[in-house]
Amino acid sequence: MTTQTQSPTITLDYVKTIGIVNNGLNGRGFANPFDLAVNGDGRIFVLNRCDPARASAIRVGVLTLDEDYLYEFGDGAGNGDTQFRWPVCIAFDSQDNLYITDEVHQRVTVFDAEGNFLRKWGSPGSGDGEFNGPAGIAVGPDDSVYVVEQHNARVQRFTRDGEFLGKWGSQGSGPSQFNLPWGADTDSAGNVYVADWRNDRLQKFSAGGEFLAAFGSSGGGEGQLQRPTSVAVDEEGYIYVADWGNERVQVLDPEGNFQLLLRGEATVSKWAEEYFAANPEEWAERQTSDLIPHLPPHLNTPYHISSQTEPYFWGPVAVSLDQEGRLYVVETNRHRFQVYQKRSY
Amino acid sequence: MSESNIALMSHLMRRAGFGANRDELERCVEQGYEATVEELLDTSNPNNMPDDLIRRYHVEQSELRDLAGSAAYWMYRMISTESPLEEKMALFWHGLFATGYAKLNQARSQLNQVEMFRRSGLGAFDEMLLEISKDPAMLVWLDNQDNHGDAINENYGRELLELFSMGIGNYTEDDIKECARAFTGWTIGNAEYMSVRAYKDSIWPYGRIAWHFDYREEDHDTGEKTFLGETGNFDGDDIVQIISKQDATAEFVCTRLFQFFAADEVDEQGSRCIAAMKETYFESGYQIRDVLRTLFNSEYFKSGEARFARVKGPVEMVVGAVRMAGSHQTPELGIERVSNNMLYMGQGLLQPPTVEGWHEGVEWIDSGSLVERVNFAGKELSDVSSPGIRAIIDRLASTGVGVLSPSEFADGCVDLLGPIAVGEDTRSVLVDYAGRQGDLDLRDRQPGDESEQRVGNMLRLIAATREYQLA
Repeated sequence: MTTQTQSPTITLDYVKTIGIVNNGLNGRGFANPFDLAVNGDGRIFVLNRCDPARASAIRVGVLTLDEDYLYEFGDGAGNGDTQFRWPVCIAFDSQDNLYITDEVHQRVTVFDAEGNFLRKWGSPGSGDGEFNGPAGIAVGPDDSVYVVEQHNARVQRFTRDGEFLGKWGSQGSGPSQFNLPWGADTDSAGNVYVADWRNDRLQKFSAGGEFLAAFGSSGGGEGQLQRPTSVAVDEEGYIYVADWGNERVQVLDPEGNFQLLLRGEATVSKWAEEYFAANPEEWAERQTSDLIPHLPPHLNTPYHISSQTEPYFWGPVAVSLDQEGRLYVVETNRHRFQVYQKRSY
Repeated sequence: MSESNIALMSHLMRRAGFGANRDELERCVEQGYEATVEELLDTSNPNNMPDDLIRRYHVEQSELRDLAGSAAYWMYRMISTESPLEEKMALFWHGLFATGYAKLNQARSQLNQVEMFRRSGLGAFDEMLLEISKDPAMLVWLDNQDNHGDAINENYGRELLELFSMGIGNYTEDDIKECARAFTGWTIGNAEYMSVRAYKDSIWPYGRIAWHFDYREEDHDTGEKTFLGETGNFDGDDIVQIISKQDATAEFVCTRLFQFFAADEVDEQGSRCIAAMKETYFESGYQIRDVLRTLFNSEYFKSGEARFARVKGPVEMVVGAVRMAGSHQTPELGIERVSNNMLYMGQGLLQPPTVEGWHEGVEWIDSGSLVERVNFAGKELSDVSSPGIRAIIDRLASTGVGVLSPSEFADGCVDLLGPIAVGEDTRSVLVDYAGRQGDLDLRDRQPGDESEQRVGNMLRLIAATREYQLA
């Protein structure tokens, strides 16, 4: 499985890596980042899910593409309006408000871009407006808010204020059925794409929930998926998939045909450079190391390869796009994201 | 279905697994003892909680950097597997080839070692020794990355002979040096960088980088060596073969297996059992699966002598109680608080105290650990909302007309938690406690009502008995 960043119709150029593991309870760096969204003025918002030891620091970190860490918000684990347990996904609406799902709290929480709490909705259950494992969240061109529920196996559509508009989906593997679905996005026409996680496929729906298409099958080949977690669709309709179980990202054309495969090619981030400047003995040894090793057969799985190969994606849980044609790939296990630029033709 | 058959099967499942509930025991009794032994020895279909589910919810168990999360990850396997002997064997080898987090700061590589124990733990002992000699966590744990052709480090060679295979008194200091020479050049990839990171406990910039084996030919001593009376240009593979054919090795391995699976103390009958295991060791080509078959099918193992002749280790205590309760079967927030109890009781997974492993038997029990054991098991077993406890209540309710006298109530609980062999003193306390509120009437019970809570309280009390501490 090799990286393929160019096809006849689309090319992605690697730009940079941003991040460093944050072992503390706040500040620069990331702690098991789980999703990312870019707002209207280009600020990058990173959701830190955090491991149990750092649960008191569950937060959203805000930074620039130039790696200036600006501020953060969220008050760690708890039941308050600005607290979380297991936050999953984030998305912006047209007003620059940020929506966050939490699969333990069974709710959606909304903040403004400065991190001020605005509102929340949701309670446990399977009725309209209730949640059981809210995961993916996407905001359509008309500001409809779509919430993917893993355990209710459905998508619910809301207004920005959380007023229930509609729903579709049921448990299963047929059209409009889901098995522990996760991420979602909308395209410029308002169609909704869902990463149908345990069915190893994407599903595409109209804004009203009419089934339009399904892409992918189980496996590690081109166009095949293994537990896709996240999907993003650009202005031209190209579909970017976090092929999490295969530790890679794939790009499909608007009809779902395979185009590109990214394995990851992380370099030393600005923050990492500063770390090595302060720890020259590590830098010296690193310079003579082979960070893309050949592994014995029993470790020859995507997960093990990525755990031992630092430049590769490891836990590529989310893909996100900005308005400049940049792709952001969030890696939970490496506490960073890699940035690619779509080339203009 | 006779009570003696249930009791024997319960004994087997406590030792070869982590205990079994009554439904499981009845199924095993129906298929027969030897068939159940064969089922246990077949570890091809563990059907445990899937990794993708664990990784989805638990970021710490996807990354496996954090010690508590990594221990919880292994515990998930133990509490959900349908092949408990596979995990029990991994635990056995983890205690024998004790490799600890404190020095390595590398839980991911330790769990790779545990996975190797699953893969090879019931296979040939020489292959296991070869695997452990190439295991990255072991290599760093015992400094073999510092064992060079022109300057040996004896640490791995010494422990391989003393703690891993033969035992002290069966080799010389020269054998240790020659053994170490044979393992020169056996190291990990990027050893220098990884050593710096391990030493500094560095997780920067992007978390841990797991380890893999690397052989540096230019650093290997190819010269002639004399080891345990044999001479040649030995390398590590040759050393492992020489070790594996020693009588002392067979004695060592079979005794350790006996003490882990059969009885803490070895008496005369136990010695005869170990002798039979040694015979199998050689006849089978050092196959651990065959050695265990000999043990489990032996008259000694099936006799009353072996029943409750071991103190439950903390891992057995925690996993056994959870499996009996049927709790924590899906990924849940805070699961590390469950697995941490093993550490509080004195046996933290992935953190044996030294290369000698844990001191077992009665040393598991002191005033502090006993409180932890009783509190944990009591809490798990008294939760009447747990499916396993509900099954116990259902069985009690089906006794007669659903109204149990104090003795029926106490005896029924003791039976369904094992059966556990309780002494008369213990039984009288339990019956007395059962009688404080008269007969137990389960006929019109509702989930979690007072009658069901009485069962939970009785199970909690049994967890506090001396007898429950024994396997």
